[in-house]
Amino acid sequence: MSSSMLIDKNSPYCPGCGHQSITLGLAKALELLNYDPLDVIVASDIGCCGLIDPMLACHTIHGLHGRACALAAGISIAIDNPKKKVIAIQGDGGATIGIAHLLEAARRNFNLTLIVNNNQIYGMTGGQFSGLSNETFQNDHGLVDAARPFDIVEIAHKAGANYSSRIIAKGDIAEKLKAALSTKGFSLIEILEVCPSYGIQKYSDIEQLGYLEKSFVNAFNPFTLQATSQKPFVTREHSSEAAQFKHKLEKNIKIILAGSAGEGIQSAAELFAKAAMYSGLHVTKKGDYPITVGTGFSVSELIFSPEEIYYTGINEPDIVLVISQNGFDYVKNRIGEKTSIVVDNAVRHDQTNIALSYDLKAIFGKKNAAICSIGLWILMNEPFPFAAFERAVKESKHGEKLSVVLDKTQTIFDELKLHA
Amino acid sequence: MTANYTLIDGSKLIVESLVQSGVESFVSYPITPANWINQYASQRFPTMAFAPDEITVAQWIAGLSSAGKLSATATSFPGLALMVESLNMSFMMELPMIIVVVQRLGPSTGSATVGAQGDLLLLNSLISGGYNIPVFSISNITDCWKVTEKAVHAAVELRTPVVLLTSKEMVMTSRSIDLALLPELKKAQYDYYKDSKPYVPYAANDKLVPPFLPLTSNEHQVRINSSTHDDSGTIKKATKAALGNTIRLHNKIQRRMNEFLIYEHDEDKDKNILIVSYDITGESTREAVKQLRNSGLNVSALYLKTIIPFPKELMTIINAYENVIYAEENLTGLLVKMIYGNNPPNNVSKVNRIGAMISPLEIIKETERCLQAC
Ligand code: SF4
Ligand SMILES: [Mg+2]
Repeated sequence: MSSSMLIDKNSPYCPGCGHQSITLGLAKALELLNYDPLDVIVASDIGCCGLIDPMLACHTIHGLHGRACALAAGISIAIDNPKKKVIAIQGDGGATIGIAHLLEAARRNFNLTLIVNNNQIYGMTGGQFSGLSNETFQNDHGLVDAARPFDIVEIAHKAGANYSSRIIAKGDIAEKLKAALSTKGFSLIEILEVCPSYGIQKYSDIEQLGYLEKSFVNAFNPFTLQATSQKPFVTREHSSEAAQFKHKLEKNIKIILAGSAGEGIQSAAELFAKAAMYSGLHVTKKGDYPITVGTGFSVSELIFSPEEIYYTGINEPDIVLVISQNGFDYVKNRIGEKTSIVVDNAVRHDQTNIALSYDLKAIFGKKNAAICSIGLWILMNEPFPFAAFERAVKESKHGEKLSVVLDKTQTIFDELKLHA
Repeated sequence: MTANYTLIDGSKLIVESLVQSGVESFVSYPITPANWINQYASQRFPTMAFAPDEITVAQWIAGLSSAGKLSATATSFPGLALMVESLNMSFMMELPMIIVVVQRLGPSTGSATVGAQGDLLLLNSLISGGYNIPVFSISNITDCWKVTEKAVHAAVELRTPVVLLTSKEMVMTSRSIDLALLPELKKAQYDYYKDSKPYVPYAANDKLVPPFLPLTSNEHQVRINSSTHDDSGTIKKATKAALGNTIRLHNKIQRRMNEFLIYEHDEDKDKNILIVSYDITGESTREAVKQLRNSGLNVSALYLKTIIPFPKELMTIINAYENVIYAEENLTGLLVKMIYGNNPPNNVSKVNRIGAMISPLEIIKETERCLQAC
């Protein structure tokens, strides 16, 4: 047989091995489908079937045991060209260890064909059973694995493969392969074959094990890439915000905002940080919360400094703004003698360095207490103008609503001053 | 002087730098603390895929890179562990790719939201046989931009997987930076095979790296191979030519990594004390050095960025000092072990801890102790 898909007809396999019939059948099928060898990419697995590469005139990539289908999937994701054909070749062993990859390929209908050469055993390692070995098959040591094999043809079908079939590598299989190879989306073809060295000796024995040829189709959309916005996060001309206010800090201050999930702690901290930046300060900010973000404490750590900040840890904060009990309990061990505290009246604590205790949540509600507490602290201490915080708040998503909170904060502060 | 600050986290800068340096595709599998990188990547990369596990991630990025779409991913130790065999594959195949490793507290699943510097020795021995894949480390927020670019260039020019090493506090902390001060980035350039003669996939030039062609080439047959192979790219037992190819993989990294050498040597006037750090501990070191100098002490610092294979040039710098302090966030001093083995010389001391960033005070105390002792 002369073939442009084959450049070396010498079989690397044992005499009579089923892999040779499959290789010849595959080459013929690709020729019948008029593929240019350079439009075909074969990803081969570890195992005897992975010795195919040197025989083929197309592109070849030889990878790890069990991963050829995943490697081929990666290749197919990169290719947006219906002229190109991606094929993965595995044995029954490779399909067993890599079964998750074929499920994923079927689920997403990657544009590729997976050929599973099933000779019932791991040939390269000496005839061990795979997950695809038939429960009545006896290997050359006379052993049987009573577990029922995976029916990967049905599994692939149920997982969404647009085509899946089982055939027996007897005679000319090119026509049967054509159906799989010309599928749009994912196709899997399991080919039952002989392994004269360790496995089934005769094709009639395969039929005796009860294997029947069958095929299934689905009509799902083949894989296409999802569009992404691709908008740059940073350009060098990016409109960095010019500092428009003047701060009064001579050294850095370390602040912890401590509340609970659902109290807008992280977004309030972001606005606080922006206000500091608008005043020409260097800022660092990090969140601290449980893995289950919807419950428990929510803490933000901020450092504002007139100089560049290197180390971002806060061992003992200068200021702690406490919104709720969860937050207080989480940070209380870090509160030192010099820490100044603003705290909601509802929080139980034994602290004496209280700069202000107020009905933050009762007056402003759960969601706005953090903004108010930051506002009051800025008004009381004037590290930078309140207007810087007003600007940050106004520019935020709920700017208008929150500006009302700020106005009220200002009123409360004025009243507090009067009383003082 | 008016400040022009933008509040930005390291994850975002890394993702943007990857794209602007020429990475075209990204595959993600969720893992804390690499989630921000994965999240930003899903908005930014033209080709983005979500894999069902990290072995699949490592295979897909290999597939993407072999088809010409330079690829990257981000993970942490548990994911990295699953990728080890596949990274060996890509090293052997000579596929460029970037693995961002965001370190967290181990062993095992440890604490997902606590940082650490625990993976250096694993990375130094990642490839079976003692070969190296290059590792670059990020020592501050601007490194998220600049070191990332260097890593991408090394991956493409040396045709190899490259690890970009960072940790939780580096990528999940926001900072005010002036974006206009970030240097412009260059896209990495492939050395494509352009001859009309048949392509011999692993025939390397005098630069020890074979010219590249993707599996989509319409001109030449391309063969890529993870098993021992000669320059034809087909599997060979340990023939002389095949072993020569394998040895070349070692040589290309060892001999050419000096082209990608970056570090910061903050040198004071005498050669008494050097503080060596990398990754997040670089920030504590900067603060400690500032405070030590403010109190009139002479100390120098070395911030490692090209870290594996450990550069000879840096050894020369280190050896010129009478005392060297290594600060790193792990229990046993992995960098010290990597450089000196199990018997570091007497002039070497360590600052280590787990569970939190090393504080500047710890480095200051050790420096003062050293100064008093000598
Ligand atoms: S061991 Fe079996 S599968 Fe492997 S080449 Fe020989 S006959 Fe074929
Ligand atoms: Mg088999």
